[in-house]
Amino acid sequence: MSTWVKVARYNLLRPSICLLLPWILPFSFAVGALTARHSHEATGYLLTFFLYFAVQGMQTVGRSLPFGLALGVSRRSFYAGTALLGLALALVSGLVLTALQAIERATDGWGLSMHFFRVPYLLNGPWYATWLTSAVGLLALWVYGLWHGIVYFRWGTLGTLAFIVAQALVVVAGGVIFTSEHWHVFSSAGGSAVGLTALGLTGVVAALAVLLLAGGHATIRRAAV
Amino acid sequence: MPEMAGLDEGTPLFAQVADRLAGEIADGGLAEGERVPSTNELAAFYRINPATAAKGINVLADDGLLEKRRGIGMFVATGARQRLQARRRAEFTQRYVKPLLTEAARLGIGTDKLFALIREAGNERESVPL
Amino acid sequence: MTTAISVAGLTKSYRSGSGLLHPAEEAALDDVNLTVGAGTITGLLGRNGAGKTTLLRILAGQEFPSSGSVRVLGAPPAENEDVLRRLVFVREDQAYPEIKVGQALRVASWFYPNWDSALASALADDFGLRAGKAVQRLSRGQRSALGITIGLAARAEVTLFDEPYAGLDAVARQLFYDRLLADFAEFPRTVLLSTHLIDEAAALFEGVIVIDRGRVVLDAAADVLRGAATRVSGPCLAVDALVAGRPVWERRQLGSQASVVMIEPLSAGDREQARSAGLDLTPLSLQQIVVQAAAGMLAPVPGAGFATERTSA
Repeated sequence: MSTWVKVARYNLLRPSICLLLPWILPFSFAVGALTARHSHEATGYLLTFFLYFAVQGMQTVGRSLPFGLALGVSRRSFYAGTALLGLALALVSGLVLTALQAIERATDGWGLSMHFFRVPYLLNGPWYATWLTSAVGLLALWVYGLWHGIVYFRWGTLGTLAFIVAQALVVVAGGVIFTSEHWHVFSSAGGSAVGLTALGLTGVVAALAVLLLAGGHATIRRAAV
Repeated sequence: MPEMAGLDEGTPLFAQVADRLAGEIADGGLAEGERVPSTNELAAFYRINPATAAKGINVLADDGLLEKRRGIGMFVATGARQRLQARRRAEFTQRYVKPLLTEAARLGIGTDKLFALIREAGNERESVPL
Repeated sequence: MTTAISVAGLTKSYRSGSGLLHPAEEAALDDVNLTVGAGTITGLLGRNGAGKTTLLRILAGQEFPSSGSVRVLGAPPAENEDVLRRLVFVREDQAYPEIKVGQALRVASWFYPNWDSALASALADDFGLRAGKAVQRLSRGQRSALGITIGLAARAEVTLFDEPYAGLDAVARQLFYDRLLADFAEFPRTVLLSTHLIDEAAALFEGVIVIDRGRVVLDAAADVLRGAATRVSGPCLAVDALVAGRPVWERRQLGSQASVVMIEPLSAGDREQARSAGLDLTPLSLQQIVVQAAAGMLAPVPGAGFATERTSA
């Protein structure tokens, strides 16, 4: 267990995580604040922060794995430690977002009627829902980025392309199955999915995160440096 | 590199280390009862593997020229100097006289002339105290 | 003596060519068998591309064998943290994240139970490494110095070096050899050092393993190799008289002078004969012997001695 923590601390040394990450939020907030003057609609700049998680997950393997393996860490431990770091960052970030959302509510959108931290449907409920949804979302993106990073590390651009095509195929297949007229079992599930609450959706994303975690782990096992 | 301390390519390093130490004992540089450099000291000096240095010391120890005092180190055994000098005297003819004769023969220097040369060189040597 | 590293039937093949269209297999390592005793310094020698790096990467668990068995400290190293934390691998082309020198050393200290901070600081000073400098900004030589610092300060039971001195000048390399010997004397460990600067490091080795085109062509004690091959030169007749019926190669002749390399240790009688015949005897350096072994001039005979065709004189 302590090896995982050491790996997490090791990854934390990278400036793009310890220096850059904390500033993405203020930066996108500033951009949002500037445009909010002209419209009161919910700005989607929060997405930038979420996407940055995926990007960091992607870069982590390529940057940190070689030296990590050189230090005698197994791929298993490296993966676990890196995922653990993602979890910790997601929980903390989620808490920060929740706190800022509360302030936003209290100040009526920072005095500008901004809806930066309040996203309709997704991040509009009680504080614990906001925390859970954002944390799970961030973690899922981190793990997704991780898997992509491993694929790129092992198979380069061509491999990444194949991976994206495979994902597209899965999505299309899923879409067909869950909306098909012939397969009522699935279409009824698909129908109920549309009616999911934010928490319900969070549950689905959590399940997806677990799947992504398993996929990444399977892929890193034979990575060679 | 060990070449900087005078070791060469030709014979195994441990043998050269042993020879060097033996030479020091024979010359009196290492007195009887004096402590011999440790394996690590020799390894650092010659820049060689400590195992090689240890092997060199063991050659002399096996020959009874060095004795081990547990916990302290290796020391020159009593009578070591005499034994080494006797050995070198015995080898003297083989190592120095014969090659001298061979080379003299090559150059056509006869035995009488050879004696004269030796006497001359000997006088020169005595007049310049070492 | 216990065995620290034992490899049997190790083969590693890569798919070469453009994969899908022209699948071809290239064996980077082909049926490699070797053992390395604990507490020794062994040289891993051979040409570029011979397979030394591949072998070391597999020993360090960074690459997987295609077939065969690999045991380091008694167990396969891949994904085995019990072994890996007692092993350190310093490679020529180590990739680091965007961290500073001091951070790299700090992280290394977390993972190596025998890490010696004082030694790390001393080595960093010796090589002129500053803690605050970004590793990405280091010159090639400084990167090598960092690798060496980590490799030595880790004091790992099994220490693997893969040509760790890229970019280091002769003075710095000598510093490396001296520090390696000094720390090895104080804290014995199993060292496997791959290098192509053989003569520089030759005196460090107890054992020598030569790899050529993925196969082990020589595996002998360094002491045995020294003085194992001698160049005999002088008048043709005298040379031929000395080497008659004995294993030799590379006979050269110019006028009445001949030069032959004899691959058998010379006895005292041989030297006597050579001296009286006015022959010149020059021992081959370890580097020259290894070059000949790698070039396939010596048939592989693990252990002592070589086997080759005898001349008829």
